[in-house]
Amino acid sequence: MEKDRMPEVRGRTERYFRRHLHLHAMAVFGRQVLGLHHHIPLTWVRLAKLTPHLGEQKRTTASLLRKLTTASNGGGFEELPLVGPKKCVQQLQCQANLVYCLPEKQGTSVDGEPRRLEKVVCSLLDMGFSDAHINELLSIQPGPSPQQLLDLISEFILLGVNPEPVYVALKQSPQLLNLPVVQVKKRSSYLRKLGLGEGKLKRVLHSCPEIFTMRQRDVDEVVQVLKEKCLFTVQQVTEILHRCPNVLREDPSELEYKFQYGYFRMGIKHVDVVRTEFFKYSLTKIKQRHVYLERLGRYQTPDKKGQTQIANPLLKDILRISEAEFLAKTACSSAEEFVVFKKLLALEEEELESSMSEEEEEEEDEDEEEDEDEDKDEEQL
Amino acid sequence: MAAPILKGVRELMRLVDLALVPRRHRHKKKWAATEPKFPASQLALQNFDMTYSVQFGDLWPSIRVSLLSEQKYGALVNNFAASDHVSAKLEQLNAKDFVNEAISHWDPEAESDHSVAPSTACSPNLRCFTFARGDVSRFPPARLGSLGVLDYYLMDAASLLPVLALGLHPGDTVLDLCAAPGGKTLALLQTLCCRNLAANDLSTSRTGRLRKVLQSYVPQGIRERNQIRVTSWDGRKWGELEGDTYDRVLVDVPCTTDRHSLHEEENNIFQRSRKKERQMLPMLQLQLLAAGLLATKPGGHVVYSTCSLSHLQNEYVVQGTIELLANQYSIKVQVEDLSHFRKLFMDTFCFFQSCQVGELVLPNLIANFGPMYFCKMRRLT
Repeated sequence: MEKDRMPEVRGRTERYFRRHLHLHAMAVFGRQVLGLHHHIPLTWVRLAKLTPHLGEQKRTTASLLRKLTTASNGGGFEELPLVGPKKCVQQLQCQANLVYCLPEKQGTSVDGEPRRLEKVVCSLLDMGFSDAHINELLSIQPGPSPQQLLDLISEFILLGVNPEPVYVALKQSPQLLNLPVVQVKKRSSYLRKLGLGEGKLKRVLHSCPEIFTMRQRDVDEVVQVLKEKCLFTVQQVTEILHRCPNVLREDPSELEYKFQYGYFRMGIKHVDVVRTEFFKYSLTKIKQRHVYLERLGRYQTPDKKGQTQIANPLLKDILRISEAEFLAKTACSSAEEFVVFKKLLALEEEELESSMSEEEEEEEDEDEEEDEDEDKDEEQL
Repeated sequence: MAAPILKGVRELMRLVDLALVPRRHRHKKKWAATEPKFPASQLALQNFDMTYSVQFGDLWPSIRVSLLSEQKYGALVNNFAASDHVSAKLEQLNAKDFVNEAISHWDPEAESDHSVAPSTACSPNLRCFTFARGDVSRFPPARLGSLGVLDYYLMDAASLLPVLALGLHPGDTVLDLCAAPGGKTLALLQTLCCRNLAANDLSTSRTGRLRKVLQSYVPQGIRERNQIRVTSWDGRKWGELEGDTYDRVLVDVPCTTDRHSLHEEENNIFQRSRKKERQMLPMLQLQLLAAGLLATKPGGHVVYSTCSLSHLQNEYVVQGTIELLANQYSIKVQVEDLSHFRKLFMDTFCFFQSCQVGELVLPNLIANFGPMYFCKMRRLT
């Protein structure tokens, strides 16, 4: 799908680009976060103001106006508040004063930068970014140089992520922008090797942008645990990373424990772990709902043949639904009781942990002592 | 020298063994590996699932989850310790004296149909602190008071209900037929009404525990003045030993101890080896209750109590015993209505609404006390 759409998208963006190039370039210069679609008259004024600075790009406002009007008449841009040039000019005049009052933050002092910037913007437009997005991307502070930005973004695009998700990811975690391009390249080829390319990365990037910033060793560890400790196939690992990218954020040993809880305690097979996105839910939530159902007598761990005496509810009816729905539909219990139960379970877990750590300590302490003491201990208990 | 003799003996033993077992019962013993090995608590749960899901229907899941979760305690204030300070301490923990609360909130207008006031219906002087509904806090362990006795006794607050229901008056002679481990016996003493208290339990190890409890909660002087007598006789013979003697008799019989059986493996009544004993329990209970009624003076009161949910051990035993006494001894026994009592403590405990005779406290996560069945009877002739 993604592949097929690309030429079409590119064609469209090219046309778009030709029509609006100058306008966009200027707008970006100003580094003003102006929604272009809605503030087009404003931008013109801005253009008029900026053009004198731009040496060879000198054009009269009138010619620009003409160009733009033809473009808007050509269709595809209905929201433009342009009806005719005359009206526009009027509007422009009206708003000119206002525009001049806007604070100036532009960094056009270096002569070479405008050209590079323009190139970058062109390329970004080419990739299918909207101008508002480009504006915002360029204004992220502290940001990389435009060239680096372009390199980074192209790397994501090459991995098959659409412009929109790339924008969202970068906006959410600006730390991505400060990565060295080499590292991103390396990581992308690694991800491709894992099977996360071709559009699958979108989701990963969205919910776990750290995949690019985290250390290679940590990613490796997670993948290792999934493959070797939990015995997932390579395909399943890819699927897990794709569907539940949060696994990357988890501590590997805790991830293994979560798997074991699902596999041994709840009797969920590998395929279902992947299919139901089991790893997406926190262990606390899983335990709360599972143990509650189990103690209510509504869930049983299947035996080795996978049989139970009662029909277990589907995993999606346990985990994927809201708490209210879970209580009403699956547990058939009251919220009041569940609240108390969660408190009790937390206490139990706490005690289990403390008793386990105590045992460990005792083992360490009493390594040399003989078994004879055990009898005494038992009596005391 | 010895070896051939030993061998011969072994041979002989084998022959005898074979001869004793009829041919049709002889079989080759299987290895344990093929026999499913269930822990007794597991067996208990299976048993409950089968019987109680029928008995309680839709209520069972909620009872089940409560039985399997941590129970709530009540702190019975020791009147023999300097206790004002204790009450203040417990109130500071946000616990409330549920007995006092219930009696002070008693509305005589609304309950005009009952001629008995709660102060006369309930045993006096008992103070037991519990945490509010839904509060899962725990009490700190009791501390030694100024008189060298502990300041409060931690017990299932529902265990106090049989003692409250017994309605002691000052100067009563009281029998506790199955006293160990001592919670209810202690509560009986706390009423400060017992002119004479006979505490009996069949097993000497259990009366040992009872003695320990009395030692750590009742000062020496009071123990002697109150004329507490601890015995280890067979309670079933009490009718012959001391017939028509007591004003108040508490028959807290051995039962399947539902909550305990689900958590404790040691000495569990649901072990396969104790199957016979378990099946004979209702019979034993019936005999004990009959003995208790026989030991009561005509006009005296008996409270029968268990910590089981099973109708077989509760209502049926009561009804069966009343019938038995009427037929064999021509003694009339009347079941006292405790519905006013239920209303009194409804805020603290969750009662089962449809008991034919007596009252049953159901465990509920919000008020995780019980199970506790109690039925008050009055010997008429």
